[in-house]
Amino acid sequence: MKRKLQALIVLLLLGAVRLPMEQYVTHYYRTTGLLSAPLSLGLRDNLSQMGFAASLGGLRSLVATISYLRAYREWENVNWAKVDSLMQLTTNLQPRYENYWDEAAWHMAYNAASAYLYDEKIETDVRTSLYKEHVQRGIDILKRGLQFTPESARLWSTLGDIYANRTENPREATLAAEAYLQVFRLSRNERYARFAAHQYSLTPDPAKWRKAYDMLSAFYQKKRVSATLLDDLKKLEVKLNIPFPQRIPTPGIPIEAPADPYTGVYR
Amino acid sequence: MTPSFSLSRIWTLATATVTQLLRMKIMAFLLIFCVIVVAAGFAFPVMNPEQQLKLLKDVSFGALQLFSIVIAVCATALLLPRDLEDRTLYTILSKPVPRFEYLLGKLFGVLILIGAGLLIMDIAFSGVLWLRQSFVLTQSVSALQQEGAATPEAIAQLNAFVGKQGLTWNLHLGVVAIFFKAAVITALTLMISCFASSTLFTIVISFFVTIAGHGQGLIREYFFTGQGGVVKKVLSALLAVVTPDMAVFDIIDNVINGELVTLAAFGMMAGITATYLVGYSVVSHLLFVEKEL
Repeated sequence: MKRKLQALIVLLLLGAVRLPMEQYVTHYYRTTGLLSAPLSLGLRDNLSQMGFAASLGGLRSLVATISYLRAYREWENVNWAKVDSLMQLTTNLQPRYENYWDEAAWHMAYNAASAYLYDEKIETDVRTSLYKEHVQRGIDILKRGLQFTPESARLWSTLGDIYANRTENPREATLAAEAYLQVFRLSRNERYARFAAHQYSLTPDPAKWRKAYDMLSAFYQKKRVSATLLDDLKKLEVKLNIPFPQRIPTPGIPIEAPADPYTGVYR
Repeated sequence: MTPSFSLSRIWTLATATVTQLLRMKIMAFLLIFCVIVVAAGFAFPVMNPEQQLKLLKDVSFGALQLFSIVIAVCATALLLPRDLEDRTLYTILSKPVPRFEYLLGKLFGVLILIGAGLLIMDIAFSGVLWLRQSFVLTQSVSALQQEGAATPEAIAQLNAFVGKQGLTWNLHLGVVAIFFKAAVITALTLMISCFASSTLFTIVISFFVTIAGHGQGLIREYFFTGQGGVVKKVLSALLAVVTPDMAVFDIIDNVINGELVTLAAFGMMAGITATYLVGYSVVSHLLFVEKEL
């Protein structure tokens, strides 16, 4: 009996010693990204009992993959509501995996939005409205993903692309430009600075035109000139009423072709 | 005079335990694992390359975890009752072998078996992942060549992209984390089997505590930061003290996504594992030393 009591005391002492230790280690792992935040109990509504238990039991990544595969199947079935719900579940299970956020946004802002826009069974006004709603849904998904991975150039780039290609409001060109500038900050890829300048040039704000002009002129001075850059500069010179002597000469500079016509704003 | 503590005796008991478990044919799981890995490696070819590699890693690591937990609980739970049934225990303890050496021998035996199993599965998994990675890379490069876009810069970018999702040293540290978790579960099951009345009781309670252990972090955080009455706080503290924190070993989820395991992080995990092993072994000894056999 005495030994059993000793065993119980050792067990309790062990627990008391390791509790603060585990609290510290868990916090450290979460800070360094090795552990994800605990699962929200609200997820239990979306996951089966088994799925919830498995995701608690260290198989969270596997459950996320299964949920992703289910979303893929629903995409093939053109069931957009289900795709959204399953991709939401997937991103909640693995919020630090940028690919899931990127794909979830792509499904909504491109696939679902276009499917509704070209669905002739729906009234024209409703189609446009559904298109806008799904583009906005894609933007919201990316913004939420960026809360978890603010340093993801990929998500900023997709956000810029959606603002640039999927919205019709010229005021949103500023948002596209800001997203591309974030990509440039993270990747140091100059192409994104040029995209940002191009987007600024499309806004109705003369202050932004000036900013675009300064950025594009800097590229021009460095002799990093492409056909689109030259075109933007020429348009901005007119918009900003730049005096003729200060305008750039057109001939004499070899013009490089756009690096990849299938990416970014030219997609 | 016989020394009171002998590493060679513990080693002899550990190797005998490995032999005993191998005769129970529990390593058949290895074959099942290999089939799962190969199937996952070549399933869903329509998905993008990154997702194909992630799927392979998710399925393989899921199988590794299941294998290690099931072996840790079932093999350990079987040991003491089997020795009692075969009367091997009486033969061993009638010799000058202290009971704690017997327990340590059993513990290390199971750990060696799990460690060897994980090593073999890690090698098999690494081979399949490397093959899949090479296959995906070749496919992507040839697609680039067909489009006439196979510049050295594009190929280097593709290499980096696939390489990040492919085989890295970091993944092996994830396997070590799985081993650490299995080691804690083994020590826990051995402790439970020291006072349990039957094998079934040991298995059920061990699985229950293991599952509860994955939610221990939530209970602990409630104790430290939650708002509630004294009774709720005391109950949560008691639960947190009694159950081990299994979630702290679940770094594999994020390691799969490319998060790096630093030396400090690895050291902390090893330290926690050692604390559990020592603590549970002491409790097991205190329970087993007076057990009537």
